[in-house]
Amino acid sequence: MRAEPAVPAEALAAIRAPFMDLGAEIVDAPILQPLGLLLELAGEAMRARLFVVQSEGGEETCLRPDFTVPVVRQHLDSGRTSGRYFYEGKAFRASAEPDRPVEFRQIGLERFDEEATSIVEADSEIALLAWRSALAGGRSDLSLWLGDIALFAAFIDGLGLPDVLAARLKRVAARPRLLAAELARADGETPAAAEGARLAALLSGLTEEEAAAVLEEVWSLAGVDPVGGRGPAAIAQRLIRRAEAAQAPALTSGQADAIRRFLAVEDEPAAAFAAIKAAGGQTPALSAALAAWDERLGRLVQGGVPAAQIRFATALGHAFDYYDGLTFEIRSAALDSDRTVAVGGRYDSLPSRLGGRAVSGAVGCMVRPWRAWAGGEA
Amino acid sequence: MSEPLILAVPSKGRLKEQVEEWLADCGLKLSVAGGSRGYMAELKGLPGLQVRLLSAGDIAEALDAGDVHLGVTGEDLLRERGGDVDARVLLLRPLGFGRADLVVAVPKSWIDVDTMADLEEVGHDLLARSGRRMRVATKYLTQTRAFFARHGVSDYRITESGGATEGAPAAGSAELVVDITTTGATLQANGLKILTDGVILKSQAQLAASLRADWSPEQFSVAERMLRIIEARAAAKESAMLTWPADPRETPVVDTLIARGASRRPNGLLTPATWIAEASLALADAGIGPVTASRPDFVYEVGCVAADKLRMRVEI
Repeated sequence: MRAEPAVPAEALAAIRAPFMDLGAEIVDAPILQPLGLLLELAGEAMRARLFVVQSEGGEETCLRPDFTVPVVRQHLDSGRTSGRYFYEGKAFRASAEPDRPVEFRQIGLERFDEEATSIVEADSEIALLAWRSALAGGRSDLSLWLGDIALFAAFIDGLGLPDVLAARLKRVAARPRLLAAELARADGETPAAAEGARLAALLSGLTEEEAAAVLEEVWSLAGVDPVGGRGPAAIAQRLIRRAEAAQAPALTSGQADAIRRFLAVEDEPAAAFAAIKAAGGQTPALSAALAAWDERLGRLVQGGVPAAQIRFATALGHAFDYYDGLTFEIRSAALDSDRTVAVGGRYDSLPSRLGGRAVSGAVGCMVRPWRAWAGGEA
Repeated sequence: MSEPLILAVPSKGRLKEQVEEWLADCGLKLSVAGGSRGYMAELKGLPGLQVRLLSAGDIAEALDAGDVHLGVTGEDLLRERGGDVDARVLLLRPLGFGRADLVVAVPKSWIDVDTMADLEEVGHDLLARSGRRMRVATKYLTQTRAFFARHGVSDYRITESGGATEGAPAAGSAELVVDITTTGATLQANGLKILTDGVILKSQAQLAASLRADWSPEQFSVAERMLRIIEARAAAKESAMLTWPADPRETPVVDTLIARGASRRPNGLLTPATWIAEASLALADAGIGPVTASRPDFVYEVGCVAADKLRMRVEI
């Protein structure tokens, strides 16, 4: 095991101080977390980064890769509507790179609000908290990178696309290859002629039950025994949808360019927002989203983040794809961009994915003290 | 007496028989010590070498860990060790038997799914619709993960399967499988089909060397001797010897054949076995003959490619 060296107590206390000032409730999380739950949330690719542990005959568990999921579960179990939780401890992530520590300290906070009205305030508070904590580590080369997962949907709505197309784009937003395929279609690259197109045409006029019945007949004619998993309805539906998608309106090359320009935005915030406005149509939703960003930026600058050290990138995302609004990273110029000093964001839909009731507001941040401390990671 | 070179060979099943046949064909007959149930053996004609009989899976593990110097096992099992296998194990020679493909197979009833790209979409749909991830039954976790990542399929879960993986979709414990197949018949019988771009690895039995084992110069020279014999036998199987009464008119024909890959021998030519007829007729057409074609038992070259590769990697 490559454990991160300890940060001197004094420096650690300074990095921790901004968290203590918020008066959050102190919580801990079990080091052993249920493996199945994390893989269900993050996907199989995450397995390579997890330390899997199992006692004889016991369920498969892993060493906690972060605190967010267990803290959300604790909050849901408590039955409370809102809360602020502070945590500090070791987290564990395997790494293919031999020099990377796999056991490291995290300090973080998760905040849940019942009232949705406080989105901008909560976003700003959490980003400012991470900034102040990171800054207390003594580095003078920090920058705050901001992003917004929800902005893509608002931008797409502003392009005036047919509903099916807009829905499909939003669905594949977090899947770069599928999105790229959709953009390529605008350039006249038709996907390989959809097989079963005639069958799909046959099915498309039918009700779900009828379509399923036709498909079952096809199977029996072909001597195919349907096994497990997806039923005839799901398969019929996808055949129809695929045929429709092949015929359905594709993006015009202008619209595809607009989306590409949007995805490429990475600049200081004023220029970034201007580029987003210039790339797409104006809708109330997009204007409101950008106005909210003006307000967030105002609060951040007022809170002490130098405007010159803020960047906005539409493509900012994280390994766990549970963020659905604000995302941010604090980077040090001395460290590679994937060795972030702090990360955080909004994840309103995570609680309901964990089987809990929907929480209207959920934001969190995490600071790595060893990276924040000026005498630490190099 | 110095420590022997350890060679691990499969201890049971069809693979064991094939390895024994192959060794015997090279003149290296396996003789098991302590009756047929013994797990130690020797190779006739190779002193200083000890054979260990292990399961194919254990051989892959032993090569990876450096517990044995050489071993015969399936490439699929070696690749499954994960990480950078090529830094720890050197594949010396594919043996042409124990062929099996590691493939992605889905129910035949999925007439809308033929490629990995389809799978990416289906997985994504299933997650969006039901909140559940598509389940893939396999015991090849490492290769499945790497292959799916390469094809951008991210919305799935692996359910580990001990045996009878191909039955998982019918049993309802997974939607699809990643499994090893030789003819595809078992998959077929279980109502599954292989995706057109779903072949992860075309595997066969390999003679492999462990780079993590301790290699003494003595052990290396025993390995080199064995590799030379194996290479000489393999080269012989691909060659034919053509002889004819010396003839002053032969030079132009012989030069053409040498330019195409034949090599001069004191009383004739060594040619690839596939051109016996062609080369003999070319000589006959020039009025040279009679030509006698025979198959050599062993062809020893001066160098040995596999041994040289191994020497470089273990730095002896």
